[in-house]
Amino acid sequence: MPTTRGGIAAILLACLAVGGAAPALAQSDDPLGVGRKMLAEDNPGELWIEQGRTLFHQKRGPRNASLEQCDFGLGPGKLDGASVRLPRYFPDTDKVQDLESRLLSCMVQLQGFNRDDIVKRAISPGGSRGSDVEALALYITSRSNGMKMNVSLGHQKEYDMFKAGEYLFYRRSGQTDFACVQCHGEANKRIRLQDLVHMTDAKGAQEVVSTWPAYRGAHFVVRTMQWRLYDCFWQMRLPELKYASDTSIALTTFLHYQGNGAVIKVPGFKR
Amino acid sequence: MEKACLKWTMLGSLALILAGCATYPDPATTRQIAEKMVSEDFTAPAPALLKRLVQDRSQQICSKIGDAKLTQEEADEVVRLARASIQYPASGKLVGDWKVGNTLAHDGAGDRIQGGRLEKRKENGGLCQNCHALAPGEINVGNVGPSLTGYGLQRGNSEAIAKLTYGRIYNAWADSPCSNMPRVGATRHLTPEQITHMVAYLLDPASPINKR
Repeated sequence: MPTTRGGIAAILLACLAVGGAAPALAQSDDPLGVGRKMLAEDNPGELWIEQGRTLFHQKRGPRNASLEQCDFGLGPGKLDGASVRLPRYFPDTDKVQDLESRLLSCMVQLQGFNRDDIVKRAISPGGSRGSDVEALALYITSRSNGMKMNVSLGHQKEYDMFKAGEYLFYRRSGQTDFACVQCHGEANKRIRLQDLVHMTDAKGAQEVVSTWPAYRGAHFVVRTMQWRLYDCFWQMRLPELKYASDTSIALTTFLHYQGNGAVIKVPGFKR
Repeated sequence: MEKACLKWTMLGSLALILAGCATYPDPATTRQIAEKMVSEDFTAPAPALLKRLVQDRSQQICSKIGDAKLTQEEADEVVRLARASIQYPASGKLVGDWKVGNTLAHDGAGDRIQGGRLEKRKENGGLCQNCHALAPGEINVGNVGPSLTGYGLQRGNSEAIAKLTYGRIYNAWADSPCSNMPRVGATRHLTPEQITHMVAYLLDPASPINKR
């Protein structure tokens, strides 16, 4: 079912991309917007939420434990509103963690999974059934749907993470001379036909932080913020960003803090 | 009892003061923290590829945070380094084949790293289409950079224009220090020969980019 819907979505986008649908839509002020709206109204990513819920409560891993004792910052098993506060500092790991790195900690500590094994599978192949981490991240974030992003800086490590993220957002390197800001520093910009989020603007930052994890039409799977960042570095011709690395958490802290006030609505729908 | 109370009050105040001390780190500390992350958080199939993360002098200067502006000295240094970087093709001919240039302009692949593998091709794509409007009527083009539609119509195709155009592609920072445009020649993303094809694509009256 998700494949069929995703397929239709991909065909629609492909039509827009080659301009086949352009004449019919040309009368609209924003011809691309029409297609995007059509896609957003019927989101196959919803199906991953149930999968995530099941995985969360299931006894799994070498320790045969569920994730019900996992603490995302509001106490063990308290998921409602947890992700609006992430990333945040966790005393038990003495680290600032985003949703996915925290999930990883719990899967290792509570369930006894091997960290490298989870990381290897965290980002699923396109067209697959998706990874456990993708479904779990979506389910946990969905438990904050309708709530406002409310990341706070209080602990020194949170301040450090935020500032490192800001630094990295503007740090140019590699053969394309790109930092994040080259593509995400202005309004109404596109790479080919794809809209670029204006992340140095509060509204743009709010748009990005409130819509991940998202169903990615071109991949037929749910993608997470960790994937989004990884893929940007890939396109920038830089080496591969390690899953749940501090660099990824720093950038997420920078973006999420700026996106405070955004109302969570996941899964988002992306091209 | 009183003593214990006093002790707790003092400890409490100390905790408050410590908590109050948490604040934004200074720029040097931030840089140190973030650079350590960069050095630890990436993998590549070959150690040499990790060097892509290391900034050259110009990239360091061009990584201003927020609205911070370049100083005149910094801009001058970037321009000087950029001018010195420009190399011309061995043949000396700056205008190549516009048809090859057309293909290159619409090619966004090459040299990316995924799943522990380098996307190895004989030559990299030119990436133009990602950011620039190209031939009239082309829809699948970006707008991060200025439109190049009619580039040659507006400028002609004199030798001086060819040299200027070649330089702008090879290292855009020679004219506009720290602009968003990648220094595709200077960073070795493209070869000098490839750039001559791009010059032809932009200037040749027969090129689709100059069709009315």
